[in-house]
Amino acid sequence: MLCDQMTSRERWDALVRGEPLDRVPCLQFMLGHAAVVNGKPIAKVYDDAATSLACQLNAMDLYGHDGLILHGWANAGGAEFGGVVEYPYRKYTGAPMMKANPVQSEEDAWNLRVPDDITTAGTIPIALEFSRLEAEAGLPVTLQVGSPLTWAGSVCGEERLAVWMIKKPDLVHNVLRVVTAFILQKTDHWVKEFSAERLFAFDLCIETTKLYSPKQFATFGFPYLKEVHDHLTAGGVGIVMSHICGEQNKNLPLWSQLSYGRRGLISVGKEVPLQIAHEAFPACVIMGNVDPVAVQEATPEELAALCRDCIEEGKDHPGGYALMTGCEVPPQAPPVNVGQMVAACRRYGRY
Amino acid sequence: MADEATLLAELKQAVIDGDEVAAVRAATEVAVAGADPQKAIMEGLAAGMIEMGKLYEEGECYVPELMVSSEALYAGLDILKPLVTASAGGPQKVGVVVIGAVQGDIHDIGKNLVKMMLEVSGFEMHDLGRDVEMERFIDEVQRTDADLLCLSALMTTTIIAIKDYLPQFRAAFPRTKIMIGGAALSQHLADEWGVDGYGENAMEAARVALRLMGRG
Repeated sequence: MLCDQMTSRERWDALVRGEPLDRVPCLQFMLGHAAVVNGKPIAKVYDDAATSLACQLNAMDLYGHDGLILHGWANAGGAEFGGVVEYPYRKYTGAPMMKANPVQSEEDAWNLRVPDDITTAGTIPIALEFSRLEAEAGLPVTLQVGSPLTWAGSVCGEERLAVWMIKKPDLVHNVLRVVTAFILQKTDHWVKEFSAERLFAFDLCIETTKLYSPKQFATFGFPYLKEVHDHLTAGGVGIVMSHICGEQNKNLPLWSQLSYGRRGLISVGKEVPLQIAHEAFPACVIMGNVDPVAVQEATPEELAALCRDCIEEGKDHPGGYALMTGCEVPPQAPPVNVGQMVAACRRYGRY
Repeated sequence: MADEATLLAELKQAVIDGDEVAAVRAATEVAVAGADPQKAIMEGLAAGMIEMGKLYEEGECYVPELMVSSEALYAGLDILKPLVTASAGGPQKVGVVVIGAVQGDIHDIGKNLVKMMLEVSGFEMHDLGRDVEMERFIDEVQRTDADLLCLSALMTTTIIAIKDYLPQFRAAFPRTKIMIGGAALSQHLADEWGVDGYGENAMEAARVALRLMGRG
C-alpha cells in the first residue's frame, strides 16, 4: 500500500484552496454508515449532535477518508415548519422521514410563515449544536441550505407539490418564497454566530428529471437556488457545495450559472458522467460518482474497478476532483467495500 | 348525446389534459347513455393514461403531468368502475396484485404510478401504501391469493429488507410472481436475486406484469 504524503486535513485544505495534492481525495457523505461502524443506532447521527460528530470523526479515522463532516439529510425542511419527522430507529430505516407534512391543504400553503425564531424551529437546534461542536473542534462549520424546491417537497409532500406545479403554480411559488426566506434567515444566523469565512454551505437537491422537467426546474427550482447562492456568496461564504442528486444532465446548464464563492464543490450521481460535470463546472471541484448501490452490493473487486474508472476519468479535472459515492454511503454497506474507496485513491489517484 | 366513439375520445383526451371536470362529464355521459363501462375504461381512460406513459418514457412529460392525469383518470374511474362491477360478469381482470413501498421507505410516487398503470392494464390492485412492514406483504398475498407481488424500494437500506424476505415470499407463495422496482433497484439485481420481473419505470412495469401473466 502506498503511503500518503498529506494528512486528511492538509488534503482538504489544499483541495479547497486549489493547491497541489498528493493524491485524489476521498470525500464521503457518511452519516448512517458512520453510526453503524460505531455500533450506534443510525438515528443518533441525526438526532444527537455530539454523537453524530463523534461517529463521523471516528469513521473518518477508520477509513482514512478526507471528509465530509456534516449534519443534514435530503428530505429536510418540513420539520422546521411544524411537520413530524421520524428518526431512523426502526429496522430497515436509513434516514429521517417525514411522517406528517406541515402543509396538507391549499389553505395551509397560503398561510405558511417563517417561524418567529428560526433557531428553535424543528431540527435547527440540533444542527446549530452540531455546528458549534464543529467550530470548537476547529473544523469547517457546515450549514445546510436546501435546496428550496427539495425542502418545499418536504413541507408539502412531493405528490401534492407536483400536482400544484400544474394546477396552482402561484401556490408553489408562495411555499418556495417562504422556504427560501427561512433558508436566508438561517444563513444570516450562522454567518453572525460563526462568521462567513468559517462556513461550508451545502445543498442536497433531489430535483431530478425523473421527477420534474427541466422547464419545471427552471421555473420552480433555479430562481430560488440562485437567490440562496447569491446570498451566501455576497455574504462572504467562501465554500459552497451542491449535491446534484440523480438524473440531472438537462438541468446542468442552469446549475452551472449559480455562484459558488471562492471554491465550489459539485457532487454528482452515477447518472451524470464526470466528463459532463467537468465541462459544466470547469472551476469547481467535481465529486463522484460511484454508484451507492454498488458500494453496498458489489464485490470488493468490482467496487475497486469502479473506483479506478472514476479516478481515471476525474483526476485531471482542472477544477479538482474527489472520489465519492454518488449519494450517501449506504448505511449497511460492507466496511470492506467502503474501505476500497480510499484504497483506490491511494492506488490509482496519485499526482 | 355524443356517440360512443366520441365519448371514448373525450375520456382519453380528458386524461391526457389532466382535466378532471371533462373526465367526470364524459364518464357521466357514458353512464347515462348506457354505453359499455368496461370499454369506456379501457379504450377511453386507460388509453389516455397509456399515452401519457409513453410521453413520460419519451421525456415529453414528467411526474407532475402524470399526477394530474391520474387525478382525471381516477375521477372517471370513480363513476365507471361501479357500473362494471354491477354489470353481468363483473370486471375482466388480468390478475391480482399486491403492491407497496417496503419497510423503511416513504418514497411512493413511483409505486403509485406503477399501481395506476397496472390498474389501467386490467389488474386488481391491493395497495398497502408505503413503509410497509414485510409481514404485511405476506398476510396480504395470503388473503388475496395474489398472482403478483410488487415491491418498491428507493433507499439502499430497503434493498436489504427485500433480500431478507425473498426466501420467505418464495417459500410461502411459490405460485406468486415477484416484481421489483425503484431507484435503488435494477435489472442486474433482479437477475442476481432471481426475481421474476423488474420495471425501470411504470410503463415498463405494466408491460412486464402483463408478460408475467401470459398477456404480453
